[in-house]
Amino acid sequence: MLYRGIPASHGIAIGPAFIQKAQDLEHPRKTCGSPEEARGEVQRFRQAVEDVRHDLENIADSVADVVEGRQILEFLLLLLQDPLVKKDVEGIITGEGVNAEYAVSTALASVAEKFDRMSDPYLKERVADVRDVGRRVIAKLTGAEKDSLEKVGEPVVLVAVDLDPSETASLRPEQVMAFVTDMGGMTSHTTILAKGMGIPAVVGLQNITGKIDSLDTVIVDGIHGHVIVDPTREELDYYTEVKRKFTEAEDHILTESYGPAMTEDGVRVELAANIELPHEVNLVRKFNADGIGLFRTEFIRLLQKNGESEEHHFDIYDMVAREMSPKNVIVRTYDMGGDKFRTGFDHIHEANPFLGYRAVRICLDRPEEFSKQLRAILRASARGNISLMFPMVTHVDQLRRLRDLLSMVQNDLRQRKVPFDEKMKVGIMVETPATVIALDLMLPYVDFVSIGTNDLTQYTLAVDRGNPRVAELYDYFHPAVLRQIDHVVRTCHPQGKWVGICGSMAGDPLAVPLLLGFGLDELSVAPTLIPDVKKMIGVVTTHGARELARKSLDMETGLRVRALVHSYVVGKYPEILLNEDSWNTGGS
Amino acid sequence: MTEITVTVPNKLGIHARPAALIVRAAVEYESDIWISNGEEKVNAKSIMGVMTLAASGGTQVVVTAEGEDHAEAAEAVAEVIRSGFGEEML
Repeated sequence: MLYRGIPASHGIAIGPAFIQKAQDLEHPRKTCGSPEEARGEVQRFRQAVEDVRHDLENIADSVADVVEGRQILEFLLLLLQDPLVKKDVEGIITGEGVNAEYAVSTALASVAEKFDRMSDPYLKERVADVRDVGRRVIAKLTGAEKDSLEKVGEPVVLVAVDLDPSETASLRPEQVMAFVTDMGGMTSHTTILAKGMGIPAVVGLQNITGKIDSLDTVIVDGIHGHVIVDPTREELDYYTEVKRKFTEAEDHILTESYGPAMTEDGVRVELAANIELPHEVNLVRKFNADGIGLFRTEFIRLLQKNGESEEHHFDIYDMVAREMSPKNVIVRTYDMGGDKFRTGFDHIHEANPFLGYRAVRICLDRPEEFSKQLRAILRASARGNISLMFPMVTHVDQLRRLRDLLSMVQNDLRQRKVPFDEKMKVGIMVETPATVIALDLMLPYVDFVSIGTNDLTQYTLAVDRGNPRVAELYDYFHPAVLRQIDHVVRTCHPQGKWVGICGSMAGDPLAVPLLLGFGLDELSVAPTLIPDVKKMIGVVTTHGARELARKSLDMETGLRVRALVHSYVVGKYPEILLNEDSWNTGGS
Repeated sequence: MTEITVTVPNKLGIHARPAALIVRAAVEYESDIWISNGEEKVNAKSIMGVMTLAASGGTQVVVTAEGEDHAEAAEAVAEVIRSGFGEEML
């Protein structure tokens, strides 16, 4: 039987189901025979709390690097040790002369109810945490350690209504091959954690827990969001084959691409990754990138409650910096506006949002708020190798104001003796023709630049990629774009400034030989594209790339440039990995 | 006993995250610490208590500490509140 849900995390899993029963918080009431017995119950309760605290701390230690996971567990620990709860529970035990299990269930049920009544949706969600803690304490008391995954021998497909937060944080890929839940959505923290662990997940299946029995064979297709219970012979064969292909492709790509990116003639190329959410660091490490060439931060601000808090940003930058250290992480300050999240700051309708109020244009108007992000980045710079990058700087005086603001924040930190990296590198994105043409005026204020090809292409060719009537004209192989890239490198290198490139062009295998030929110091691409790009780097020689780049500057059309590169790599690079659209059609 | 009156300076007031910060500061001290918002008075070492205080931005709250280290305890908790929890201020 096939059920459709939301594909939360990629991959295929086939295996026995393990149903995690949502244990009821309610527990039968037993009366104590004597005050001594009641005192014994109080002792049992205290011991159970102590044991659970111990468990949670162990889990917190073993949760690899996931900021969310830690925060959830810390919150559970605070709940567990809450003196009010303790007083309530012990009051019920001694006051009513009842068993500890009943007292815990009663006390926590009333707390959960209190939270449930709150209007703040974030607090409402904390009901799950309260129940989680309650269940753990009761499990300790009854000795019936919840039908716990920790005790399962073979790996299973975990099926649950919703995963307990502490349970999700402690899931190990050795125990669980996939998970399947009734609740949840694309942005729920369980989804985020599953992606971080790299196991398939399908969520939002409504009532899958009612459709599966323990040990039923289940196929989880995290690519399409399908769950098949009790598959037929044919389905089993088919998915076994899909799973084999998927694993093979992944393994192949990984083994082939784990080493450093190197041209055919042995020249090392710096290949970094672009990320926007902290858990993606796991992917970056999996694909062994040389660093993070672009850490987009607007998502952190916009996707989470309190996304503007300095501490919240610091926690994330700090985690990413430490995970990547000694490799470099380039943190780009907020790039809001344009096409991204028009709701981020007070939004006024604009006729031309891409020519309007975005990125540093907004941030410079809100120095106090922006300083928080700068402080968080600076504080994290003491903990790893961080660089800072400003987006959409078109005027030198903007750059001067940004540097002044940064200096003010640095002075403040110095006075308060807060450590930061005094030598942190500061750069800008190059994403408008203005920045390219007047780059020599900007360079004195920066240590490096990174070319953002998406914006550079659309501003250069005056094409809105989202408009289907003109999208065809959008082409980063256009001579005007290529010549600007060449110009940027030629302007920066004599001044000893480093040039990276972090737009989608860097992740297009066909563009890679040109970028190498122009002499870029670093390519930064989406983590999953690293293997393809690395493979392309491996079939190009430095001399060949330089020739291609030189010739491309004299081509009349983007199509000709593509044909040029294609004829160079044909036979050396798998045709199937070349983006057919960009090769066959595209602007001219 | 020490009593300090502070205004909650951040926009969103004392919600879950600030509550956790307050409790983490409070449990470092021996003294009993309370925060009151009008009639409502809660134990500053209790995450449940502090979260249910419902002190929105701009509210005046009173931090009270009683015990050996009352002066430091009250000041520490008051300071966490004054800091605005690293959030957007009113």
